[in-house]
Amino acid sequence: MRAEELKGHLDALLLAALEDGPRHGYAVIEALRQATGGRLELPTGTIYPALRRLEQAGLITGSWSVVAGRRRRDYQLTPGGARALSGKRSAWRDFSATISAALEGRPCPEPA
Amino acid sequence: MPGTSLISDYLTTLSAQLPEDVVEELADGLDLARQHYLRQGLDPDAAASAALAEFGEPQVIMAAFTRLSPIRHAARRLLATGPVVGACWAGALITGRAWTWPLPSAARPLFGVVLIIVIGLLATAAFGRNYRPVSRSGTAGCVGIGLLDTALIVTVAVALPAVIWPLALAVTASAVRLMFAARVTLRARCSV
Repeated sequence: MRAEELKGHLDALLLAALEDGPRHGYAVIEALRQATGGRLELPTGTIYPALRRLEQAGLITGSWSVVAGRRRRDYQLTPGGARALSGKRSAWRDFSATISAALEGRPCPEPA
Repeated sequence: MPGTSLISDYLTTLSAQLPEDVVEELADGLDLARQHYLRQGLDPDAAASAALAEFGEPQVIMAAFTRLSPIRHAARRLLATGPVVGACWAGALITGRAWTWPLPSAARPLFGVVLIIVIGLLATAAFGRNYRPVSRSGTAGCVGIGLLDTALIVTVAVALPAVIWPLALAVTASAVRLMFAARVTLRARCSV
């Protein structure tokens, strides 16, 4: 699955990767790889600006630590980020159910 | 250490444009990626190459950070609101018969030249594609707009015989913009 196919869903994926606790940028990528069985093909370098964008939006906060003499930036969800993730999850469920119904010729489920 | 010179060159390219803390974060991520590939059994050069391939082109990363730059957003906001503040001043200066004010003859053309330069700087920041020029032009543009607003407010305070409401409105608009420009300039020094 390529980066352009993820347009509009990257924020939700990053927020979900931080749901279990603070992670640094590379750990976020590894968590996404693990969660998707390695099917996401995101250029790792573009994750970092995306994390900073979420931080500017107040959905996550970043803090520095020092590990093995190197500065590392960890991110964690804010309460606003947790609410945004919940909203994005339910929007995705609706979207996914609607498109699946259309593609597979099933009746569209009632909105939750 | 073999392989690390490839990463070092990549980071040098990034640090020519991006702030130090961003490059530090990317350096940490690249090192973690390199270690990941070393654990998978790649030799040091191949591990470094794989880490760099995983991160993608530096130009793509730099462009993404440039789009995020707060000074770029501030420059766009100042350009968008500029005509409103300008209209307030135009109305105020016409109502206050500004052409009769006792100002040095060079003051008006000097103000016009500085205003054009400031608009050019803000436009460069608002639409530029490289982080460093965007940041520098935006900061200079914010300082410039602050100086112009200060000059207008001081001129009115010194030259105007009586306060009229259009002028009070224009001064308020300039004061708000001045505070915004000052806050952006200060924040830009310590964030992406």
